[in-house]
Amino acid sequence: MSARLRPPREADFSSPLRDDRVTARVGLWLGIAFLVAFLTGVFSHYGQDTPGWFTYPTGPVSLYRITQGIHVLAGTAAVPLLLVKLWSVYPKLFARLPWPPSRAGLVNGLERASVAVLVSSAIFQLVTGLQNMTHWYPWGFSFRSGHYAVAWVAIGSILVHVAVKLPIIRDALALPIDAATPMPVAERDINARVADPALSRRALLRTTWAAAGLAVLATAGQSVSWLRDVSIFGVRSGDGPQGVPVNRSSVEAGVTKTALDPGWRLTLVNGSVKRQLTRAELEAMPQHTRSLPIACVEGWSAGATWTGVLMADLAALVDAPGDSELFISSLDLNGTFGTSTLPPQFTANSNTLLALKVNGETLDIEHGYPCRVIAPARPGVLQTKWVTSLEVVA
Amino acid sequence: MTRGVQLGRVMFSVLGVGALAYGAWLTWEIGSSQWLALGKWLAGGVIAHDLMFAPIVVVLGVIGSRLLPSFARAPVAVVVVVWGTLTVVAIPFLGRFGATASNPTLLDRPYRLSWFIGTAVVAAAVVVASFLRRRREQ
Repeated sequence: MSARLRPPREADFSSPLRDDRVTARVGLWLGIAFLVAFLTGVFSHYGQDTPGWFTYPTGPVSLYRITQGIHVLAGTAAVPLLLVKLWSVYPKLFARLPWPPSRAGLVNGLERASVAVLVSSAIFQLVTGLQNMTHWYPWGFSFRSGHYAVAWVAIGSILVHVAVKLPIIRDALALPIDAATPMPVAERDINARVADPALSRRALLRTTWAAAGLAVLATAGQSVSWLRDVSIFGVRSGDGPQGVPVNRSSVEAGVTKTALDPGWRLTLVNGSVKRQLTRAELEAMPQHTRSLPIACVEGWSAGATWTGVLMADLAALVDAPGDSELFISSLDLNGTFGTSTLPPQFTANSNTLLALKVNGETLDIEHGYPCRVIAPARPGVLQTKWVTSLEVVA
Repeated sequence: MTRGVQLGRVMFSVLGVGALAYGAWLTWEIGSSQWLALGKWLAGGVIAHDLMFAPIVVVLGVIGSRLLPSFARAPVAVVVVVWGTLTVVAIPFLGRFGATASNPTLLDRPYRLSWFIGTAVVAAAVVVASFLRRRREQ
């Protein structure tokens, strides 16, 4: 070893585990994990911010519980995949930058810039996603806008990266993983000492899959109820008032007094037609009971039995058709949680309730007393709690 | 290069550049008031990985390959990958940074205890596996 300290060079890294065959195989599954997270993520985004051409489906009732559970688990599985993949190509960070400038050098420089965008956006997505799961927001940007914009950057740079590397990927995947002949690596110093690795390449891959599987098991309990006791890193145990966990508490929403005020009325508005109902009047209407999950963007979900009034019946009270679009306001004055829009297909759906009870008991204030929206298949952030008014959107 | 690979490259490039452009436009739309914070976190992740996390792993690898007896190297390597990545995933849980007093249903499991028990279990597994491999080597 040289006594003089200097930055490492690509050829200093001699482990035969850092090999295109490992990189391509881990990269393949990392790409799949990112693609799954991307598709389910775009679906979730469109559920909350629906573009005109998209009609959000009203069933199956567990749709969002499944897609968002998968979204979060795919991201969690990607953590070990990304770390091992980056480990396998780490020496390339120290490859010489092309100098003096040339056409080949420009291509090389562009490729390295695209890899920088890829690594940065991929790490950003996993870090912010994991933080959002646990309600940890130590940053000054909107999580939803940032995570959504960078998702497109990440998937785009992954696709470009696959395009650039496709011939290498194809050759690497075709070669047996532990074949004795090393892959020809043009830039690697053939005189470099080839270390005796602790693991075979196959063993490293199996260890990586095991790490991804364990990361999924350790967190999945927040969405898959029978894994609750196994998931040591589940964000929620599943316990809560009336057997249902809470995402936003009455204290955070600032409704501890207003929600319990006996003067509370539900206001229904359809243009000039206006009606106000007390909770007793709502209870006197025909009651319906539905088993529907509540599923949050953070990935957790819980099933519950809700009892309340059909949205379509409420629309009828102000002479509005059963498939009216409704603008819902809450006592919670925060913009994100304080209002939501119920699209026509949900108002008309016989699974959409303004719930007064959960699991046979009067709604706890943490679950939205005096009444809350519960609709099938929708993101939890739209299941507005502490409802104060429903307005028919003209 | 076969035609299939060439076609694949064109297809992936077109889709990729399109998605990148849309992502850049969405980032632009977020507005200048949030760009600095976004930029910090975008750059921060890659800097933390490339200049801190990865060098630590490399140094640990070098130390491990020199100091560990041959029978212990494979078990230690497996456990570092599994335990290390699980610990990275667990950071927000162990710190309970998002916990709020008004919502006891959030982050309501004994994460640190689980992590300590898990760490003790894998440490014991390393010792047992190394012992078994040593017997086999002899």
